[in-house]
Amino acid sequence: MNRRHATRGLLALALVAVAYVVWRGREGDDERAVGARIEALRNDINTSTSDGLGAVAHATQIGSYFTENMVIELGEGTSPIHGRDTLIGIAARLQTRTAAFRLELDDVSVEMVPGGRAADVLLTASFVRRVASTGEESRDAREFSLVCEKDAGTWRIARVTAIDTLR
Amino acid sequence: MTLTRRIVFGRNPRRTLVRVLVLAVISFVTFGWVLIPVRAEGISMQPTFASGSLHFVSRVAYRYRRPFRGDVIAIKLAGPHVLYVKRIIALPGERIAFIKGQVFVNGAALAEPYVRDRRLWDVPEVQLTAREYFVVGDNRGMRASDHDFGRVDVSRIIGKLLF
Repeated sequence: MNRRHATRGLLALALVAVAYVVWRGREGDDERAVGARIEALRNDINTSTSDGLGAVAHATQIGSYFTENMVIELGEGTSPIHGRDTLIGIAARLQTRTAAFRLELDDVSVEMVPGGRAADVLLTASFVRRVASTGEESRDAREFSLVCEKDAGTWRIARVTAIDTLR
Repeated sequence: MTLTRRIVFGRNPRRTLVRVLVLAVISFVTFGWVLIPVRAEGISMQPTFASGSLHFVSRVAYRYRRPFRGDVIAIKLAGPHVLYVKRIIALPGERIAFIKGQVFVNGAALAEPYVRDRRLWDVPEVQLTAREYFVVGDNRGMRASDHDFGRVDVSRIIGKLLF
């Protein structure tokens, strides 16, 4: 095999690798829409507001990402949160405390349920907090499973369940 | 050929291109599937690993052998971008308990030279299944409630920390 063949072979290999990465990264419109919605929720949570009415408006905005009868299960030792109104109330009250945190989402995978009206989402959520005294950041990462539903053309979260990676 | 072009593309641009491609493919394979760089965050593995330190996870370490007790491993959550880094202290099928901070495996005290400070953790005895390992961080000076530890399924172990 001469040098020209080797060059062509390597170029072909590189093209195959690029094609593989593109193929793995492909997703449909609904998957993209669900992913974008979750990303928008993250951005809204990270936009903190701690003053009176602003906090309520902010909590309502966060609540709009969830269905009316949503359920959040955070696992052992905590009661499930039932209903969007309950969530908005909790979000408004916790506003000053959550402002100290930054939410990061990684490894978000979206899988459509047959029928296209619902989607299962798996992700890792990290709550990052900067320690004022040392300037260091502490990270608390947890895995979550979400069920999203399409409601009047908009994807909303119907169920959030914390997964115990270590049991 | 100008000096700049010669520095960038070398004396033989085609050979340089081949070298760059080979290097790119080797790096892509090595750091994507063989050695994963990870940055430790948090204090749960202190004093062995300081927060902010850089390490490498070998994804091939357990291809031909099972994890050993004492191995520091990487555990995936929803995917490979955020990992738990913990030490294996009990193997599949074993029984494990913490009594006043001391670890007991199958009823015998486990020597843990990597642990400096110990709080008096108490964890009732747990029987591991054939697919479970028990993992914990080296920092036992923390309160148990602030520390993530417990049973992990073998499918979540993605590799061994090399250094």
